[in-house]
Amino acid sequence: MAETDQDAELVRLAQAGDAKAFEALVVKYQRRIARHVARYVRATGDVEDVVQDTFIRAYRGLASFRGEAAFYSWLYRIATNTALSHLQREPGDVLLGDDAPEERAEAFDPGVSDAEDPERSLIAKQIAEAVQRALAKLQPELAEALMLYEVEGKPYAEIAGMLGIPIGTVRTRIFRAREFIAKRLEPVLDVQRNRRW
Amino acid sequence: MSLKVSLLLDGQLAPGEAKAALEETAADPRLRDRYTVYGLVGDVLRGNSTPDDGFSARIFDRVRKEGVRIERGYDPLKRDE
Repeated sequence: MAETDQDAELVRLAQAGDAKAFEALVVKYQRRIARHVARYVRATGDVEDVVQDTFIRAYRGLASFRGEAAFYSWLYRIATNTALSHLQREPGDVLLGDDAPEERAEAFDPGVSDAEDPERSLIAKQIAEAVQRALAKLQPELAEALMLYEVEGKPYAEIAGMLGIPIGTVRTRIFRAREFIAKRLEPVLDVQRNRRW
Repeated sequence: MSLKVSLLLDGQLAPGEAKAALEETAADPRLRDRYTVYGLVGDVLRGNSTPDDGFSARIFDRVRKEGVRIERGYDPLKRDE
């Protein structure tokens, strides 16, 4: 993702004390951070603990985030350190070996991180299949914009240049693609109405 | 409004617009769901379809219960000994 500045406003609001802005960042990045942590930590429950600790550390340390790097990069480094600290305390939970270098962890793909939880794994599979089915039915120009953004990590302006369309059209194509898929996910996804985000 | 949710997720709103969209989204369960699902769609496309089973809510329960605050001088990148 092209994320250098895209979280700047949410981070600024969170630093000013707006908890909703930080929640929005948690919702946005929780799965990516969980996937990263699962490269280090074996037990599913411990992955969640480490991810929680990561976000809590990030929240406590928000004042120290100066924006020199993307917020996600900062969060990623906190998650790495939190996972390594966890492994020092719980060496039996190690996935890679106590002295595995970070570089090796970065290259390691854990696959589905909730393999220990068949129900979660089944739901994840159903969600993935529903998204793929929706993607197959999506208008090609909408799918193209969405994939360039989400998978290729191209910023909006670059997508506009590549496709020869105004940036406003990129915005609406990505939105329409998401909305199309979201509607088709509804029957599959038990969106928890009582959660905060 | 769902367009603004999509733009909020991607950091495409101007500062004033972002704050207003954030407040509107936080106050509307349907928009909150959209924010979550749009994020999930991106994660699925990148290969991670783990559902949100209230994870973010659990984090903020902890924040409240433990009285976590933003602390000047706290370095979250420093490893625990």
